Amino acid sequence: MFRQSLLWTSCLTLLAAPAAIAQAPAKAAAQPAATSTQKLGSNVESRTFKNGLKVIVWPDHDIPNVTLNNWFRVGSRNEYPGITGLSHFFEHMMFNGAKKYGPGEFDRVMEANGGANNAFTSEDVTVYQDWFPRTALDLIFQLEADRLQFLSFDPKVIESERGVVYSERRSSVDNNNMVALMEQVQATAFVAHPYQFPVIGWPSDIESWRMEDLQRYFKTYYAPNNGTLVFTGAVTPAEVFALVEKYLEPIPSQPPPEPVRTKEPEQQGERRIVLQKLAQSPLLQLAYQGMAAKDADVEALTLLLNILGDGDSSRLHRRLVEEERAAINVATYFSPGFDPSLVWVTADLPPKGNLARVEALITEELARVVKSGVTEAELTKARNITLATFWRSLETINTRAYALGAAETFRGDYRQLFEAPARYERVTREDLRKVAARIFATQRRTVGWLVPTEEAAASPTAATKDAKR
Amino acid sequence: MIAPLSWKTVIATVLLSSGPALAQSVAKPTQPATAPSTQGVTLPKPTTLTLANGARLLLVERRDVPLISFSAWVRGGALADPAGKEGLAALTAELLQRGAGSRDARQFAEAVDGVGATLKTHADLEHLAVTGQFMSRDSALMVELLSDLLTRPRFAQDELKKTRERMASEIIAAKDGDPRALINTYFEAFQFSGHPYGTPVGGTEASLPTLSRKDVLAYAKNQLGGDRLILSVVGDFDTKELAEKLGAALGGWAKAASPAPQAPVTTVTKGRRVLLVDKPDATQTYFSVGNTGISRSDADRVTVDLVGTVLGGRFTSLLNTELRVKSGLTYGARAGFSQSTHPGAFVMFSFTQTETTEKALDMALDVYSRYRKSGMDDAMLASAKAYVLGQFPPELETGGQVANRLSELAFYSLDASDVDGFAAAVSRATRADVSTVIGRTLPAPEDLTFVLIGKAASIRELARKYGPVTEMKISDKRFTPAPSQR
Repeated sequence: MFRQSLLWTSCLTLLAAPAAIAQAPAKAAAQPAATSTQKLGSNVESRTFKNGLKVIVWPDHDIPNVTLNNWFRVGSRNEYPGITGLSHFFEHMMFNGAKKYGPGEFDRVMEANGGANNAFTSEDVTVYQDWFPRTALDLIFQLEADRLQFLSFDPKVIESERGVVYSERRSSVDNNNMVALMEQVQATAFVAHPYQFPVIGWPSDIESWRMEDLQRYFKTYYAPNNGTLVFTGAVTPAEVFALVEKYLEPIPSQPPPEPVRTKEPEQQGERRIVLQKLAQSPLLQLAYQGMAAKDADVEALTLLLNILGDGDSSRLHRRLVEEERAAINVATYFSPGFDPSLVWVTADLPPKGNLARVEALITEELARVVKSGVTEAELTKARNITLATFWRSLETINTRAYALGAAETFRGDYRQLFEAPARYERVTREDLRKVAARIFATQRRTVGWLVPTEEAAASPTAATKDAKR
Repeated sequence: MIAPLSWKTVIATVLLSSGPALAQSVAKPTQPATAPSTQGVTLPKPTTLTLANGARLLLVERRDVPLISFSAWVRGGALADPAGKEGLAALTAELLQRGAGSRDARQFAEAVDGVGATLKTHADLEHLAVTGQFMSRDSALMVELLSDLLTRPRFAQDELKKTRERMASEIIAAKDGDPRALINTYFEAFQFSGHPYGTPVGGTEASLPTLSRKDVLAYAKNQLGGDRLILSVVGDFDTKELAEKLGAALGGWAKAASPAPQAPVTTVTKGRRVLLVDKPDATQTYFSVGNTGISRSDADRVTVDLVGTVLGGRFTSLLNTELRVKSGLTYGARAGFSQSTHPGAFVMFSFTQTETTEKALDMALDVYSRYRKSGMDDAMLASAKAYVLGQFPPELETGGQVANRLSELAFYSLDASDVDGFAAAVSRATRADVSTVIGRTLPAPEDLTFVLIGKAASIRELARKYGPVTEMKISDKRFTPAPSQR
């Protein structure tokens, strides 16, 4: 009931009485069976342009609207000490003025023509999203072409935007215990790889990145050959490709960015961290060294995590929440990226809850699945949930654009999206047992405890420093 | 496969957004470069049936996909929570899916999860909602589970005890989390103090432990029944066949023993009041400022939508432009109207670091006063119209959205023109209409209710500047100050 999203929409949602919207069906004309998905997506077309920009179009004329997603292969993974958080800050700067459309104009013109936009940054990617009526298609191209070619950096705007990002950090990390703990666990789990950096950046770095950092970022990572442009909705591939030729193909390509070479060394023993904060509810997070998006075990791991933590019938929920009443909520989470990322098992405890006991119970359940695997009924259930999730990921032009972009970016080919049901169908119980043994080893995990204290700690200076200076 | 974005993705990767694509700058309004799309959205015409017990069914076939979505609304909701028993409707709703018919809680969850379906129950202020989606091959199971939970819930004592404890713990966990999740509950409790619209729907740490099985059984007997049900189903089914199945499964559901709860009308409050909620470790102040707004069936609701959009409903709104874009004081500032049978809350909301609380609050109040005085110019109005028209179609893109809207319209006795006539109503709105509506729906600056969640030691003195202050702690086990403090 009180579980909240940190997406910007949460504020708006919270202004209204929450209304649960039933999940809606995918619009694909197909049967929900792995064998019948060939037809699905048969009208998707893609083209790679002279400057290396790849464009994917999935027409769907149910509503007179279009979604554009522009995926750039840059995130906090591409950062280093001193510029942590820069990818995210840059994302903010992409809305702050270029040549034809000055500061504030990008949003003002887009909204005056019926469009809305947003963007997000993760460890691996930065994604820009526009949602607009098809009548605004040509104008959207003009807006995007302007910022992709001629982004400008006004020192005053940079300083003001630092304040915005500070505020974002205070809300999403400093005043949110779950995320504050996650930040610490992730920073402890990786000793070498840049996945150790929080996407929003360390406070001192938010203060110190410079104009030249931004300019270098723009040239290196915002090149047409480092992005993928996805369109879904009321457009035809022909008209989109013609507009790309006109507005975007002239943008020159750049040498490819330096690859991220660091590989996290093998973890050879459990790591533990404790975060003490004024709170009533203890929190537990277990983060196991995981795998990359292209790993052959990703599907097996997804199904396994489903059985462990998805829904009221899942193993961890049954054991910890219903039977032992040791936790109020247990969840599993894994978001695969370019490099091996963490597999999370998290638990929210009631006030005065026993962290050691919850940790022992989860550890025991994970050991049980390593030893004995799962039942056939559990595998069937997980397959059904995954299949339904697949259909739901295609239910709107917006979620379709995300799904296409993610498949192209992380798996190397958008067509992989439509093969997902077949890939899940092939996974066996033995695969699940093996992947459990591969991942759930205590020596390859980092344990985070949030231990409530009675006293409010002195505010960190970074968080209260006047960002305006 | 990469999962679609979910709240978990957001939290686990600390996914960061540039903020809302939200309204209109004062500096240099832009005339639309393209003719705004007036291509509206039409609501599909449902087959409508009323069963002998008064239950209403609205069915829409969408045969292109092998899925079925439904949205059931049962009139009553938290309005029927007795004083001191806040959260009773929410607890009842939660328990509906924790054992019903021949299945205990575990078997019920397994039946839903096993076929990859979704099924959720929740309480709202004026209704209980059951929403879900099943593959069409499982339509018989869908009817069985839905009718079991509505007509044959078990309300097992051990499930009740567990759920009650968990609901209280979730409130506590939310208080340790992002204050954005709770500020609206504090605001409504304070604004509608003494009125049913002030009821914290999820209950409070003080009220939840007092809820007994007897309370739940009484609520179910008095507030749940066939005569209270509106059920909309959209998707891949044969109407005649499904209507027969649903009729057989739900037609015998007894009527509720009591008449549906009626709340007295809500009104705009006079004068200024401040509630300060002390969160000693906060590094930011979160504030909501507002009063009582409009009802769902307000004749001017489309114009109000335009008014709210320009003030705080989109990224280039007046509030977000001043507080975020121009001054960097916050990550976001917004405003909105929540609408029920009677007027709900009108709220402006933002947050800023503790040290700039005064600056941000004064800026928001200044934006508000200027907007009330000057309203919109032509370019602003044209921009707002284009924006709400352009963003409207995705609101009714999926079967689930359509099912929910059908039930909602039936609940408030509104007809399809709410959707079908939306584009025309937007196009018709004039500057004169806007001025009239601003005058009627936005309270005078001297009639504002303030809720501040933050570090009281730092902002206690400042809070007095905005009106008489009532203070409470975030750790207090309720959302309203203790009666002695009022």
